[in-house]
Amino acid sequence: MTQVLFYLILGVCLWALGLYGLLRLKESIRRIISVNIMGSGVFMVMVALAARSEDPDPVMHALVVTGLVVAISATAFALRLSVADVQEDDQ
Amino acid sequence: MTAALIALLLPLFTALCLLLLRSRSGVLVIVTSLLTLLAAAWSLYDVTVNGPQWLELGDWPPPLAIRFQLQPITALLLVFSAMIHLLVAVYAAGSQHSKTRYTDFWPLSCLLQGSLNALWLSGDLFNWYVTLELLGLAAVALVALSGRKAYGPALNYLLLSLGASLVYLLGVALAYGRYGVLDISLLGAMTEADTTTRIAWWLMTLGLMLKAALWPFHLWLPRAHASAPTAVSALLSALVVKGPLFILWRLWSEGAPTELAVEAGPVLAVAGIAALILGGWSALRTPWLKSLVAYSTVAQLGYALMALGLLMYWQLPALDAALWLFVLAHGLAKASMFLAAGELQASLGSKRVSALRGTTETMPVAMFAFAVAGGSLIGLPPSGGFLAKWLLLEPMFETVNHWPWVVGILLGTLISAGYVFRVVALAFDRADPVPPDFSPDRFAHWLALLPALVVWGLALISEPLIHWLTGVPL
Repeated sequence: MTQVLFYLILGVCLWALGLYGLLRLKESIRRIISVNIMGSGVFMVMVALAARSEDPDPVMHALVVTGLVVAISATAFALRLSVADVQEDDQ
Repeated sequence: MTAALIALLLPLFTALCLLLLRSRSGVLVIVTSLLTLLAAAWSLYDVTVNGPQWLELGDWPPPLAIRFQLQPITALLLVFSAMIHLLVAVYAAGSQHSKTRYTDFWPLSCLLQGSLNALWLSGDLFNWYVTLELLGLAAVALVALSGRKAYGPALNYLLLSLGASLVYLLGVALAYGRYGVLDISLLGAMTEADTTTRIAWWLMTLGLMLKAALWPFHLWLPRAHASAPTAVSALLSALVVKGPLFILWRLWSEGAPTELAVEAGPVLAVAGIAALILGGWSALRTPWLKSLVAYSTVAQLGYALMALGLLMYWQLPALDAALWLFVLAHGLAKASMFLAAGELQASLGSKRVSALRGTTETMPVAMFAFAVAGGSLIGLPPSGGFLAKWLLLEPMFETVNHWPWVVGILLGTLISAGYVFRVVALAFDRADPVPPDFSPDRFAHWLALLPALVVWGLALISEPLIHWLTGVPL
């Protein structure tokens, strides 16, 4: 249980760190990274919660995989938008 | 249920077809929207006759199942979103000033409608997360359609929307960790008022409030909605912000234990009043026409939030009708207002409110649409906005102690009247009208008037509508 608790707390800390970065930072690339840190934090919490029993909970794992897919597509879109934004500024 | 599934799948397939065929045909989208509207109307008839229905995807039994639920309110929302989407599609294809005619608007708006329909039909915490993300991505891409000036607001919208989803997701993880189910009706039977549940529900609520731009998390909305093309602004204000609101309502009225709901109700209701007053104040002050309409969305969402908060606080299911009437009336009025505002500013060649001087003479129909829609936002009888407000006020008149809420509603109404009349008074200043730079498009003006007239038409069917809404079994 202590190990699960450790990862739970670590996940929540990462999530809070990411949230702080998202709200306080100005540069878009840093904010994109912040959102990804937030995502990793949530996924860590979910994996830790799944590992509480002897047989890890497959539903939680399925949720994490779905969440990863969403996070990757959204990050790609955000990167493209931020690049387009900067390029337009240069012209 | 079949009809509802058709209403969900038609826009999705149209979007895929448009993308695969590299076609940007507006006519195809209009035809699909019409078919979707028919399917949604059929599902509404079906649910009224046969009662609520469930569909277990892939035939898995609960709790593993992802269930689709068709309730009367779901069917009504399906019809509502199909109507707005059809109207906006006709506008985007028909108006001379529409900047979205041969663009990616068509597949994206279909995707938006598909994900919104999936959201209405879902009843599962994680499925809602996925539909929220789909909705958010489609909405951001639509905002970015207006070109370089919109990239900044679009990126900000995207990042805040992603952050909000992750706040929501942490809440979902905690709720699942505590109860082991994700289905909202199963959760409703299990939840207890303990600390974990409280944290989980508040995390989900905060995420959804940010997504729905409910005060104090509304700061991203005016920039995003005002910088989007006109057709997109109408879709965003009329439909997209209602999605998270729907989840919020299901979460608290179905999933949460009564004690927690009673505890959280006043907080949400006070946030609603703050939205009404502060959003309305910003709408009064802004020099830009589209920002004014966007801030009015922030303010009007305050009514819906207040209805939700009081519904939880007093445990009055009768306020459901007020909440959903607000959503319908605001959606119709706001679609009308954004289309009218977009047409006005495109013809005048200026984005300022001050350019509207004398528009009752130069573009009477568009200004009439704006004023009629504004009348419903203020809540003038006999509009849909009035009906909703009356339903919200009714329980307050019954008990003396409820007077502070009435004062909040009064202040909100006063400010709404202020920002609507600010525009209308200017439009009647005919001494020295601003001449339009471009020829006005009469067809688009009449189109903008249509939903405003429908809102006022709601009053004609008010009695059966209210009975039907209050009879909605949860």
